[in-house]
Amino acid sequence: MPYHLFKCSQCIPEREKHAVIKGPGEDLSMALPLGYLNTIPGSISERGCAYCGAKHVIGTPMKDVIHLSHGPVGCTYDTWQTKRYISDNDNFQLKYTFASDMKEKHIVFGAERLLKDNIKEAFKAFPGIKRMTIYQTCASALIGDDINAIAAEIMEDMPEVDIFVCNSPGFGGPSQSGGHHKINIAWINQKVGTVEPEITSDYVINYVGEYNIQGDQEVMQDYFKRMGIQVLSTFTGNGSYDDLRAMHRAHLNVLECARSAEYICNELRVRYGIPRLDIDGFGFEPLSSSLRKIGLFFGIEDRAQAIIDEETAKWKPELDWYKERLKGKKVCLWPGGSKLWHWAHAIHAEMGVDVVSVYTKFGHQGDMEKGISRCEEGALAIDDPNELEGLEAMETLKPDCIFTGKRPGEVAKKIRVPYLNAHAYHNGPWKGFEGWVRFARDIYNAIYSPVHQLSLVDIRTDEAIGDAGFATRKSFSDANLPEEVKNSETLREYTGKYSIIPDLQAKTHPEFARREPEPAAV
Amino acid sequence: MEDSKERVSQIVDHIMKNCLWQFHSRAWDRLRQNENILGMTAKILLDEKVEIKTPDDKCYWVDAVCLADACRKKFSWISSSSREELADVMASLKERMDFLTVTGSLNEELTDKHY
Amino acid sequence: MSCELAEKGRSGVINPIFTCQPCGAQYASIGIKDCIGIVHGGQGCVMFVRLLFSQHFKESFEIASSSVHEDGAVFGALNRVEAAVDVLLMRYPDVKVVPIISTCCTEVIGDDIDGVVRKLNAGLLKEKFAGREVHLIPVHTPSFVGSMVTGYDVAVRDFVTHFAKKSVPNGKVNIFTGWANPGDVTAIKWILGEMGIEATVLFEIESFDAPVMPSGNTVAHGETTIEDLRGTANAVASIVLNRYEGAKAAAYLEDEFGVPAIICPSPIGIRNTDILVKKLKKLTGKAIPDSVAIKRGIALDALADLTHMFFAEKRVAIYGNPDLVIGLAEFCLDLEMKPVLLLLGDDNAGYAKDPRIKYLLENAGYDIEIVRNADLFVLEDRIKNSGLALDLILGHSKGRFTSIDYGIPMLRVGFPVYDRAGMHRHPVVGYDGAIWLAEQMANTLFTDMEYKKNKEWVLNVW
Repeated sequence: MPYHLFKCSQCIPEREKHAVIKGPGEDLSMALPLGYLNTIPGSISERGCAYCGAKHVIGTPMKDVIHLSHGPVGCTYDTWQTKRYISDNDNFQLKYTFASDMKEKHIVFGAERLLKDNIKEAFKAFPGIKRMTIYQTCASALIGDDINAIAAEIMEDMPEVDIFVCNSPGFGGPSQSGGHHKINIAWINQKVGTVEPEITSDYVINYVGEYNIQGDQEVMQDYFKRMGIQVLSTFTGNGSYDDLRAMHRAHLNVLECARSAEYICNELRVRYGIPRLDIDGFGFEPLSSSLRKIGLFFGIEDRAQAIIDEETAKWKPELDWYKERLKGKKVCLWPGGSKLWHWAHAIHAEMGVDVVSVYTKFGHQGDMEKGISRCEEGALAIDDPNELEGLEAMETLKPDCIFTGKRPGEVAKKIRVPYLNAHAYHNGPWKGFEGWVRFARDIYNAIYSPVHQLSLVDIRTDEAIGDAGFATRKSFSDANLPEEVKNSETLREYTGKYSIIPDLQAKTHPEFARREPEPAAV
Repeated sequence: MEDSKERVSQIVDHIMKNCLWQFHSRAWDRLRQNENILGMTAKILLDEKVEIKTPDDKCYWVDAVCLADACRKKFSWISSSSREELADVMASLKERMDFLTVTGSLNEELTDKHY
Repeated sequence: MSCELAEKGRSGVINPIFTCQPCGAQYASIGIKDCIGIVHGGQGCVMFVRLLFSQHFKESFEIASSSVHEDGAVFGALNRVEAAVDVLLMRYPDVKVVPIISTCCTEVIGDDIDGVVRKLNAGLLKEKFAGREVHLIPVHTPSFVGSMVTGYDVAVRDFVTHFAKKSVPNGKVNIFTGWANPGDVTAIKWILGEMGIEATVLFEIESFDAPVMPSGNTVAHGETTIEDLRGTANAVASIVLNRYEGAKAAAYLEDEFGVPAIICPSPIGIRNTDILVKKLKKLTGKAIPDSVAIKRGIALDALADLTHMFFAEKRVAIYGNPDLVIGLAEFCLDLEMKPVLLLLGDDNAGYAKDPRIKYLLENAGYDIEIVRNADLFVLEDRIKNSGLALDLILGHSKGRFTSIDYGIPMLRVGFPVYDRAGMHRHPVVGYDGAIWLAEQMANTLFTDMEYKKNKEWVLNVW
């Protein structure tokens, strides 16, 4: 498995060990990109900071909380309204953000008083909200404000409120991942075990590492509810602060994004004996297997199987419609962290696309182990990619589509490579059976977009362009399809709605009888 | 011998593509996962009784059941192998997985003392 | 009646109107050709600003980070700047201008970016990049001072200060556009072109609207050259269109090279554009041609269709960059509307002395509240808790939920706008901007009338 040094990075040879090409018959013991190391300054890396990893990625999806950053206003502003993690309480967490607005005088004289005033003002402005998270920033960390002490004082004065403090300044670690780590550990240390929940089922889980991007959490929660499972808490998408304080009472931690949330699962296992089950919410097979495992754990595998059968029957013909038309298309799977392994094998096996490259902005070597294991031979795996390397990779690999962030997507657009937003999705949710079809649909729409096809034409040349007034996606995708596929009566295009979450929120779920309590020992 | 190696590699490939349990965060976790999940998988394939005492056991067992099912479905040689052959394959599999995920792993975070 | 310039009455910020200084410096930097800035601080200070720009323009801009991590925050991180300059120059052979933009983090730890620039000039640049034109420019933009608006102002000054060089008079006018969109630059350049005035426009950002081409260009970038910046010292005068976004640079050119600085009211609306055109005429002696008068006439024609029937007495709240807010308020008054709440998002003490604000407070003739150091929660609070009735909001996308949740129509204007398509392409300044703004305000109100069935039948005959 040879390391790969990009031409554009020959002058920074330390980059060589950050990329490998997966060769035939090679395994993980032969080469693995370095990961989670300090970024090379000036390389125009795509990484963010540890503050955003804590606040923006993990903290703010919590829905019933005042999210206050202690520092100058920019950290708050910059990380506000750049995500699509929604909630079922009218998106309070998307709409409101709070900053202590630290100024020069506070840098000189300290900002603890300022913070205290801020906390009171914020609770006053939103009297219905009694929970708060406070995030340290570079500035408040460097001047040494004791945020924990201030939070404790307020909680003493205002017993009805509860405050969580996350000390994760922007400089704390090579990337946003440093912040994921800090907030995981801070939450279990400060908050888990401080609320006793009402248990309403014999089967109780925490759903961990799930951020409800375009409603992912609500899709998965629907499956859990159909199985009669109580989702005690979700860490943290659409999650409730007090539910998350009760994580210690679950029977099982179902872990989705291990990159950002394995820490708390490991700690919950060690401290409370709750096992960690890693699952995939993406892809028919991986998701089916995940639901089956959860069912098996509780002895209700029949309930899981019923969902799998129903959903597969409903959606598989639609997934396969797209698979027939996506076969052999080359894609670059360039997300932030966990999606590189959640998707690598599933999109190949179930949508027929070839993953020619995977990268991770903030992943660790563990993510690369998973990602490289799951992608096919020949794929180029890159850790902490930078602007020029991404361009060079696209120029040599010539992908038909890339899955990445919004801004790198704009770079791809300029070299006529369509992109899908891997962080926020184009038209999600992409989790669940229906979601997976939506993902396939979005890939199909991107690759066969008539406008994208037009961008490949140089109008100045003598190249014939035909005289049709329009083209359709199908005119491109079906041109070389066998007749039996083209005219198949079983396969069909996606039939779902534009927005599928409101129906889920309005849905009532079956009640399952509880088991008789075991007779007390005499 | 070659046969056995090939069989191990088939299961390894299945695990690497489809499972996540082998990639827990630290070396001790991975060894624990390999030991228990592969141990139980072997017992299931050999029709031996699996003892489940703790929630952790239950969780290992869940992954083991799924792995055993997948192996039976995917690899016809499973049903035609003798108990000894199968036990050998599973022992080698455990060794191979320990190598790939722990002893031969290049992941520098495996030895970090904290989560 | 009460007209006042107030403070928001809270110490913290709920839903900020502005981000911090480094963003402004980065915005200025992308207007310069062959320029990639290095932001000295944590990586988020760059990553999110690049995302913000790409949300607004649907383009990607290159800006680098010195990637300060834990060790740097403890022991000082100037070595990260040295490495960043080296790596950037090696990998981007066309780069000539490299502003080193500080942040709260590196200002608090006291990193001497001026010192490291001197060191690099004497060392690395001489030894490794001999013969290559490279300008390292320290830009101090601690996040705990001012806002993105002052950051822009400071950076423009620092670029001009670095490059401006007296030689022979070039007969040009320096135009400091302030925090503009490509559409604004086009509108201003149209006026200059029609009047036959040669100008150095800071910054040439029409190219931010970059094409998809068969050859595949990769990133959008500005077109202002080092020569343009040098020549600012030799101009006839500097015209500042937004006093809070460029006046520092113009003042420098006046003090240092005797280039007169002319502060114009932001040319938003007919009246303020008239003032600009008259000033240009007076300054250059060039006549105002028929084409300009005709464009003005087209604008007046468009406005006349709208004002009495649809705009009169409409109550408006406006927030955003201060010059934009004031200019929009003045234009609204000309259109017979009532700006009732103006939000200025930072603590600039100069607002109290701004002649436009004074004039507004003294002459508007109805209750008007201007809040300094405001946040978007002031807007929501006035609606929710003080019964402020509004017909229209003018502001950028960060306030979108106030409009959505309270059912008040809103025209997206300013920076950033990411929830409406293509707004950066259109001007708010000049006669063209007056047409576009008025018609968009009208269409926004019309859509709302139809959606709410509020005299929607009026539009049956118009």
